[in-house]
Amino acid sequence: MTSPTDPGQAPPQRLPHRLYDADGNPTTDRPWIFRTYAGHSSAAASNALYRKNLAAGQTGLSVAFDLPTQTGYSSDHPLALPEVGKVGVPINTIDDMHQLFEGIPLAEMNTSMTINATAMWLLALYIGVARERGEDVRKLQGTTQNDIIKEYLARGTYIFPPEASLRLIAEMYEYCLDNLPKWNASNICSYHLQEAGATPAQELAFALANAIGVLDTIRERGAVPPERFPDVVGRISFFVNSGIRFIEEMCKMRAFVELWDEITRDRYGVQDPKQRLFRYGVQVNSLGLTEQQPENNAWRILIEALGVTLSRKARCRALQLPAWNEALSLPRPWDQQWSLRLQQILAYETDLLEYPDIFDGSVVIESKTEELKRQAREEIARIEAMGGIRAAVESGYLKSQLVRSMSERVSKINSGELVIVGVNRWTEGLPSPLLTGEDGGIFKVDEAETRRTLEALAAVKANRDPARVQAALAALEEAARTGKNMMEPSIECALARVTTGEWADTLRRVFGEYRPPTGVEGQRLYVDSDRVAEVRRRAEEFVRRTGHRPRIVVGKPGLDGHSNGAEVIAVAARHCGFDVVYSGIRLTPEEIVQSAIEEAADVIGLSILSGSHLDLTRQVIEGLRAAGAGDAIPVIVGGIIPKDDHEALRALGARQIFTPADFDLADVMSRIMDVVEAQAGAGAR
Amino acid sequence: MSELDQLVEGAIALDKWPLARLVRLFEDTRPGAVAEKAAAIAALEAHGAAPRAMVAGFTGTPGSGKSTLVGQLAARLAAREAAAAVAVLAIDPSSHRSGGSILGDRTRVHFPVGERRLFFRSQPSDRELGGMGRATYPVVRLLERLFDYVFVETVGIGQSEVEIERLADRVYLVLQPLGGDQVQFMKAGIMEVPHAFILNKCDVGAAARRSYHALRASIDFARPGEAAPPPIFRTSAISGEGLDDVLDDLAAHRSVRDAAGRQAR
Ligand code: B12
Ligand SMILES: Nc1nc2c(ncn2[C@@H]2O[C@H](COP(=O)(O)OP(=O)(O)OP(=O)(O)O)[C@@H](O)[C@H]2O)c(=O)[nH]1
Ligand SMILES: [Mg+2]
Repeated sequence: MTSPTDPGQAPPQRLPHRLYDADGNPTTDRPWIFRTYAGHSSAAASNALYRKNLAAGQTGLSVAFDLPTQTGYSSDHPLALPEVGKVGVPINTIDDMHQLFEGIPLAEMNTSMTINATAMWLLALYIGVARERGEDVRKLQGTTQNDIIKEYLARGTYIFPPEASLRLIAEMYEYCLDNLPKWNASNICSYHLQEAGATPAQELAFALANAIGVLDTIRERGAVPPERFPDVVGRISFFVNSGIRFIEEMCKMRAFVELWDEITRDRYGVQDPKQRLFRYGVQVNSLGLTEQQPENNAWRILIEALGVTLSRKARCRALQLPAWNEALSLPRPWDQQWSLRLQQILAYETDLLEYPDIFDGSVVIESKTEELKRQAREEIARIEAMGGIRAAVESGYLKSQLVRSMSERVSKINSGELVIVGVNRWTEGLPSPLLTGEDGGIFKVDEAETRRTLEALAAVKANRDPARVQAALAALEEAARTGKNMMEPSIECALARVTTGEWADTLRRVFGEYRPPTGVEGQRLYVDSDRVAEVRRRAEEFVRRTGHRPRIVVGKPGLDGHSNGAEVIAVAARHCGFDVVYSGIRLTPEEIVQSAIEEAADVIGLSILSGSHLDLTRQVIEGLRAAGAGDAIPVIVGGIIPKDDHEALRALGARQIFTPADFDLADVMSRIMDVVEAQAGAGAR
Repeated sequence: MSELDQLVEGAIALDKWPLARLVRLFEDTRPGAVAEKAAAIAALEAHGAAPRAMVAGFTGTPGSGKSTLVGQLAARLAAREAAAAVAVLAIDPSSHRSGGSILGDRTRVHFPVGERRLFFRSQPSDRELGGMGRATYPVVRLLERLFDYVFVETVGIGQSEVEIERLADRVYLVLQPLGGDQVQFMKAGIMEVPHAFILNKCDVGAAARRSYHALRASIDFARPGEAAPPPIFRTSAISGEGLDDVLDDLAAHRSVRDAAGRQAR
């Protein structure tokens, strides 16, 4: 028998299909981190959920915040009220944060927070909790998403203009470098870009150009000494999507790995290969998960998970999976458990983790990867020529590219060129038993929890030291104005029990607010069916009959950032002969009403995916009534509208309701035309 | 009271909903609507709503910031002149295929909700060539009886300059700073119409300064020997820089016009 240490012997033969550790002993890989994106109702309810998930074998936390927290409003703000606790946990003060992590040792946890415009604030709160508990802050480990570029392009929870936003990101890197060495200050996201329609090449190019933008900003600021700069590069991590075309997606991951290695070496001169590693977490694609035959989504999720686990070289560090009922509502605990089990089976039952990269040497994979790399390099060069990522956001170039890709995608689904099983093929099926339970397979937020959150906020405000609050806010404002790093002042705000709204308002005062381009101008569908022609004919007929072209205001009320549906409807309406007003996301009901009134719209189409459709629709209809146009401008509503709410919505006055099942755009437009024609028949001009 | 009378009274009070519906009547370019429009004009006359507005046209290169600028100018004007009411009419291009349009200018303008002295209306170009629609002229004829200022934003650049000249008391051509190697500003035809030039986005720095000089030279070349060369205003719709200068220019020409008595246009 020979052992690896025997002198004078030929080294033992290594089998190409085995993995070996540093000492040459056969080994297997450790699994990636299993995450479940979770949070809702209140800090207390979310804490209970986290503890349950950890007990069930989940190995990291992924916190979903509600929209007010993400957009810098306290729960008691009028814009916030309809949204408190709906799609994530509301955090108003450090006491909410204490509650959220109760019984969870921070220094041992790996916590990922999906937080962007207010990322500095949430990190300050997290650090504040650790300090007040006496835990070692240097040991904090995790990620603040903190990628503002993709917020402008796809996700919608931006607050400040690009320059100020990039400064906030840079300051967090600068702060974390010494104070929280294991913290990922930001996470460059391509996940959301794919959810907004990006092709693999666009995902690669936009995300890498984004990372370049962040690193260039930090380098130009000069606060990090040049010799430490590679450490900053080494801390850049990514959050990527994995779609249903899983082989191409796997190649995309390999392309990411290779391009990042290239960029960090050539552009930033990073020598240490470890600091050039493309470290990434994944959430698999949700855009392709369907309302129809929702059980099919389980298979889609499995296949998408393969795309980011099969190739060892491009395997994710952390994975979170959506659930089978993604297009219906937030997942229930059981739905999340089912998805977590998929990961556990993949990692522990299969032999996946026993092999080196199984695609090395594949001519096919290499060629496909090279093609993606080439396309991405071309696009990155184009963005650079425009002046870099910030300029390409501000000019609207990137957003219009995404809207275009999304328009192409929905056009292909409409024409049948892109097959979606259960949606445009094999649509007849047996009823799904998953939907027949008592709750209909749907999660409902407990509205009573909102009261608890508001009470907790009021209590903190009543008991804190007002002088300390004022001083902390003044110091924050002063840092913001003078260019000092805002991290320490934010931590002091946290400790002083400043609220989320107060922190954000202070910075709003200094930096102002920003609305990015909508990207819909000049776009069209790629469908020219007879049915489209028929809607156009009806539009012309309407012009002849009324003297004006049918005019629709597409409105996104509230804090909801899901823009795809509204964009698609706006583009489709123009394509079918409507004049369209679409002013982007996050408008107040009052603003939408004013647009519709001033434009003498024939119909208002609201798009709401945040779960606040009842409140917001009511506000719009009441606003119309107050302006005297209550009977004159019909309101229709689309988005994630559970069946149970349809009746209530109609009772409020909604004339038509659309859900993801209404993917056939000619049909949607024809139904809108019905409403418009009926109204024109009913009233005078 | 007839429905038309109600609309007219509401519109004169700048109540948005009747006003918006009256605009819709003036957008109706069918021969059948002529009588109703005449009746509306008569009702306006009867209420003493004679044409009074200073009409300013804003034309210029796509994306130069016309909508943002016009929105900022209108809001600033309403703040400066406590009694002034300002209407903005913004024209967007219609699709030649479908006839539909995205009325995108509105996206750039955020007037306070419920402020009667500020009114924004979009209008599709309606497959017309040039930068205005068939309904632009009639709608302006209505708005000038109800507001003190009417700002018209045309679609991009082209034949609109000549049309807008017929419609507006003063025409501004809005341009943005050029990149490094573009020297020539543009063809002579377009440079001849405007009363004044606005070089917007001056917050972008060096390119703006270079462009100012290039523009000055282009104007001198296109309009040789003019007694008073047209002014060039340097603005930023983002920082607010230079906006008051444009408003001063507008006010100055308003007084000149009012002193001279309104001309028939
Ligand atoms: C894509 C997506 C995203 C993208 C959005 C990209 C973008 N720019 O739009 C990203 C990744 C950014 C995202 C983020 C979030 N998302 Co999301 N997202 C989705 C997803 C997967 C698809 C939605 C979509 O775009 N579909 C494609 C478009 C074309 O379809 P559609 O919007 O449904 O519109 C069609 C119809 O509904 C109808 N329609 C819609 N509006 C209108 C309007 C009119 C006038 C008419 C006539 C018709 C109409 O016609 C359209 C065409 O067919 C859904 C789940 C699902 N599969 O539906 C979750 C989902 C909507 N998201 C959800 C959540 C919670 C979030 C987050 C809030 C999570 C968090 N806590 O941070 C964030 C934050 C977003 C924000 N700022 O508000 C939840 C909402 C839960 C709820 N309502 O109870 C869902 C349902 C997922 C889930 N099950 O948890 N999301
Ligand atoms: N930096 C800077 N950007 C500006 C300024 N004014 C407008 N913009 C930006 O320029 C872009 C185009 O602005 P718009 O107001 O839509 O320009 P427009 O001329 O009306 O565009 P079209 O009507 O589409 O031809 C937007 O991204 C604005 O935010 C400015 O003064 N400075
Ligand atoms: Mg414009």
